[in-house]
Amino acid sequence: MSSDRAAGRAPRPGASTAASSRAAGSLPAGTLPADADLDALGARVLAARAATQARGETFYAGPSGVHLAAFPPIERWDDWVELDSRAWPRREERHYMLVPTTCFNCESACGLLAYVDRETGQVRKFEGNPEHPGSRGRNCAKGPSTLTQITDPDRILYPLRRSGPRGSGRWEQITWDEALDALAARIRTAITEGRQNEIMIHIGRPGEDGFTERVLASWGVDGHNSHTNVCSSGGRAGFQFWLGADRPSPDHANAKVIYLISSHLETGHYFNPHAQRITQARANGAKLIVLDTRLSNTATHADHWLSPQPGSEAAINLAVARHLIATKRYDREFVRRWWNWAEYLRACHPGTPVTFEAFEAILATLYADFTFEYAAAESGVDARVIADVAELIAGAGTRFAGHVWRSAAAGNLGGWQVARTLFLISALLGAVATEGGTFPNAYNKFVPRPIHVPPHPGTWQDLSWPIEYPLSQNEMSFLLPHFLAEGRGRLDTYFIRVYNPVWTNPDGAAWMEVLTDEDKVGCFVALTPTWNESAFLADYVLPMGHGSERHDTHSYEQYDGQWVAFRQPVLRAAAERLGAKVTDTREVNPGQVWEENEFWIELSWRIDPDGSLGIRRYHESRADPGTKLTVDEYYGWMFGNSVPGLPEKAAAEGLTPLGYMRRHGAFEIARGQGPLHEREVPAGELVDVAVTPDGRVYAASAGPPDPNIVPTGSPEPDGNGRRAVGVEVDGKVLRGFPTPSGRLEFWSSTLAAWGWPEHALPGYIKSHVHPDNLEPGQLVLLSTFRLPTQIHTRSANSKWLDELAHTNPVWIHPSDAARLGVARTGDLVRVETEIGYFVAKAWITQGIRPGVVACSHHMGRWRLEGGPRGAGSMMATVDLERGPDGWRMRRRAPVSPYESPDPDTRRIWWSDTGVHQNLTFPVHPDPISGMHCWHQAVRVRPAEPGDQHGDIAVDTARSRQVYRKWLALTRPAGSGSPGGLRRPYWLMRPLRPTRDAFRVPVP
Amino acid sequence: MNAPACPAADAGEAADRGPAAGSGEAGPRSRRFPAHRQELLRGLAAVALSPPPGCAPAARGLGLPVPSAAEHTAVFVLGAPAHAAIHLGPEGMLGGEALDRVAGFWRVLGLTPPADADHLGALLLLLAELGDAVARARSDRTAQALRRARSALVREHLWSWAPGYLSAVSRLDAPALAPWARLTLAALAREARQADPAPGLPLALRCAPPPPGPGLTRGQLLGALLAPVRSGIVLTPGDLRAGARAAGTGCRAGERRFTLGAMLDQEPAAVLGWLSRQASDWSGRHRRQPAVPGADPRRWWASRAAATAGALEAMRARYKVSL
Repeated sequence: MSSDRAAGRAPRPGASTAASSRAAGSLPAGTLPADADLDALGARVLAARAATQARGETFYAGPSGVHLAAFPPIERWDDWVELDSRAWPRREERHYMLVPTTCFNCESACGLLAYVDRETGQVRKFEGNPEHPGSRGRNCAKGPSTLTQITDPDRILYPLRRSGPRGSGRWEQITWDEALDALAARIRTAITEGRQNEIMIHIGRPGEDGFTERVLASWGVDGHNSHTNVCSSGGRAGFQFWLGADRPSPDHANAKVIYLISSHLETGHYFNPHAQRITQARANGAKLIVLDTRLSNTATHADHWLSPQPGSEAAINLAVARHLIATKRYDREFVRRWWNWAEYLRACHPGTPVTFEAFEAILATLYADFTFEYAAAESGVDARVIADVAELIAGAGTRFAGHVWRSAAAGNLGGWQVARTLFLISALLGAVATEGGTFPNAYNKFVPRPIHVPPHPGTWQDLSWPIEYPLSQNEMSFLLPHFLAEGRGRLDTYFIRVYNPVWTNPDGAAWMEVLTDEDKVGCFVALTPTWNESAFLADYVLPMGHGSERHDTHSYEQYDGQWVAFRQPVLRAAAERLGAKVTDTREVNPGQVWEENEFWIELSWRIDPDGSLGIRRYHESRADPGTKLTVDEYYGWMFGNSVPGLPEKAAAEGLTPLGYMRRHGAFEIARGQGPLHEREVPAGELVDVAVTPDGRVYAASAGPPDPNIVPTGSPEPDGNGRRAVGVEVDGKVLRGFPTPSGRLEFWSSTLAAWGWPEHALPGYIKSHVHPDNLEPGQLVLLSTFRLPTQIHTRSANSKWLDELAHTNPVWIHPSDAARLGVARTGDLVRVETEIGYFVAKAWITQGIRPGVVACSHHMGRWRLEGGPRGAGSMMATVDLERGPDGWRMRRRAPVSPYESPDPDTRRIWWSDTGVHQNLTFPVHPDPISGMHCWHQAVRVRPAEPGDQHGDIAVDTARSRQVYRKWLALTRPAGSGSPGGLRRPYWLMRPLRPTRDAFRVPVP
Repeated sequence: MNAPACPAADAGEAADRGPAAGSGEAGPRSRRFPAHRQELLRGLAAVALSPPPGCAPAARGLGLPVPSAAEHTAVFVLGAPAHAAIHLGPEGMLGGEALDRVAGFWRVLGLTPPADADHLGALLLLLAELGDAVARARSDRTAQALRRARSALVREHLWSWAPGYLSAVSRLDAPALAPWARLTLAALAREARQADPAPGLPLALRCAPPPPGPGLTRGQLLGALLAPVRSGIVLTPGDLRAGARAAGTGCRAGERRFTLGAMLDQEPAAVLGWLSRQASDWSGRHRRQPAVPGADPRRWWASRAAATAGALEAMRARYKVSL
């Protein structure tokens, strides 16, 4: 035994022991060491590893080769040592504190690990958080690029107030107190004068679960507005009418067949968490079917890529469904037990016996017309290909995972039926909440109940929930400028938060017109980390933190499990690890950048300084009544009381629940939820039970306490006030689905009762861009697709991401290019919409269907000459003129390198920023879902002499005509609506008012 | 290297954590699968997987010389890539059915196969992970399942080819890595001895294509000779250079197939003779590999090499091979 070992010390590196000499180097060839020598060597390696790692150095370089576990172990997150890459070739060690947070650059909520330099106290980089159950340590480019956002030399660091006319670009720095007092006074006055509907907070990327809604509820204001109707409402509506949950949660990793409508693997919703699970499934032999008119990166990975005529996706889905029905390859028992076929028969086939066999006979006829040949004629996809896909799907059984989010559901009139027909396939296969199937998102999402839950506000915001759209999935946000212009109301105080309505919405010129009109919008406040086209027009610009500078909780459905993730200001957490006490996030954020939680709490206190408005109590400490709620208490209470298993897990590590979340960043609450709808309702709940003929079970008991307040549909009580507790299936009372019937609603009584009986079944609605609706020479423009590395309106302050992707050419098929006289890629084309045109570069490619052109919505950021310097880093400088016939935009200067504290800004090598096509789109509100139907019927031709890349022309008078044309498609609620309501009470609504507020006002 | 617990162990735990869980069974198991034994495997894996300086701490811990970057590349990239597929695949190349078989084993364990799932380093790491998982298991049933998996990994995917591979490495001009090869062989031999005895030969050997024989075209003969599982011999670029000297041919620079083909074109009889002697030598080498209980692959490999030697000698003698 060596002296080192005898002394209990680790062997010195390179010091040879007798054992190792015998075992390795000194033995004659052909002689192998004895087992004892091998054991001694193993012990020596073990000791050397321990000693090396105790010094904070790396013993085993690189990934392990097992589990891809290339992450620093959590026990060393307080002092992790890496070599400084900038010191190369010198080997200089740097010590880091690793602090978890949650990415804020899309809604996937992936885990990040901030590497906080212990010497400088600055974040040096972001990598993945291996403790995060959804992202599992992986990230896309957007996560690590958070670094460029927080170090962006042009970010907004101080509260600013307009000092000239709106949009003049003149600002003065003010204190937070000045901003808070001014806003609180306005809001307090509006509330006390009964003008609650003049207060609105308009959300872009939520990035959290319900905090903002509860702030508004505490004010008694129905002022939540979201971007969802320009985003995902179409997809959501189709799922909600079936499930009572508005998102699918496909278990991709365990699927046998994955069916994606659009490019989820590459850029879609939950891109990284889904992509890694789709990749995992494919490695296990799963087949991937992709419906995408473009040859997206996702399509290149598909086993079957179908490029349909835009808008025909539902016809393909129905052809697949017909195949399952005709060949009797559907899960008969699942359909019998879980579909609301009995309700359908009673309502639509009154003379027919209410038997499953009778339903099956009808089902066999319902979709008989949707042959492969019909779908082929509609879609342009070969019938044999559709047949092959249908056969593949038929073989998937309950391991069929399908997903649609934006794409076709967001592009077309009736796009919500794309989601509804997609789920029809899942429901036929019984692939609902099965391993490898698709779950209602509420099974796989956890929203912890917070310390205070204010009541529903007693007002109804007609500007967001107008009478014409009783079934709209979300707020009719993109119609706001038209409603304000029509005089339907005005806004006293209008907040935008991580939102850029001028740039994001269709018809952005209409937004500019109302946002610059102080009669329509009295005070316009932009809460934003970075400058944007809308913030230019604001009265107050208030700096909010990026993903590593703010608190939020977030949970999303990404596999069959539930987790909650914690976003936190990493420098605050790092300071606290070092023993500092931080009570205000501004203390650690750059400049006077704040976070929303503390801002809303502070503003609420100032609105109600003495508590007389009843607002303050929802922002008050429970531990120390009379004092302000802190974020530590808010999240400490939440994690300690509303996240099952977390207190125990934390205690096992000697931590508080909040301490655990600050340390780990995420917690997995459950895995393998399975079919929750199959769970029996406990006997204790079955008090004073009433059962409808279709098996809906109501009971007089109170609901079980549930710390998870994930949004779902909320079926109404029966006439005697009993709660809908479950559904009777084969003699048992099961939990069922949160729909009116408690079952999967193949037939939607809601659609039937609210004026759309012809669309109550999953069906095919011909799009507004269906070939029948196109004029000769028109093409379809797809504008809904993403660029994988972009973040909608915030990319302009992420140099790294802009370097990766900074242009959005118009995809055009060679045959169209030849026909239209577009000679080569890079030539300018003029794309004419209903209300104007834009000029962009052509990209001639076979990756798009003939007759269809495509242009990503991600690019085309701009600023006006004379605007704040900070807006200019990745935005083109433009001239914008408003004339009698509308608006015109022309680029004055491209992006270029510039001097700043960040040397990287001198390395901007590109000049293109793409074109802002959304300005030239009129609004297309779907009369049922309320979704803006993004696809455009356009004409494309070579640019005219004098045209320049990025040119925009918009006729806003014409845009108002188009608005009125689509408005005429609606079937408004009214006194004859079911229950005299403005909207079905059971449908989801982000901020639900009181029941009384739902009533249609009596004239 | 800071790998989390083996998912296979977790899955098993969830399924069969019964009244006996935590009943003290971990003690004997941890003695049979002690941490230092797994660490030895990890250290050996690190040397193969990480070029210097990454492998330096592990090499020093093992008391081995730290290889230079050139030597590491010469062995693991150019001379003797450490992939099972090369030794067990019918084409003697990377990937293919042999890799799929190894990757499938990872998947059965509930693990995502890494890109080089059949690399000796990755397989040694997996072996170590499984050893740790056995020691951690809190029920006998889980431990037995993991031990069986570990035995299968040794029998099917390591001991089926690694002895020949490591012999080839030890014969390279690699002063730092030849001791590594011997040490790795010793460690694996112990694992193979202590694994559950194999009821039959590994699948890759049972379904191996036939050895070289008469009637092959030039291309088929080259392919068979360069696929160890067909010929029983491992021909490194260094071997070919030595063979060219021995047979009096020029050694044309290129990949092995090209070089060997050029040698046969120049002096077929002499080269066939040299190859026959190589095969005989390899037959002897295989026979001298450490013995293990149960079906012992060394006999199969020795027999395969001997058959090749005989066939080559016959070709040389008849001189009728279609070249």
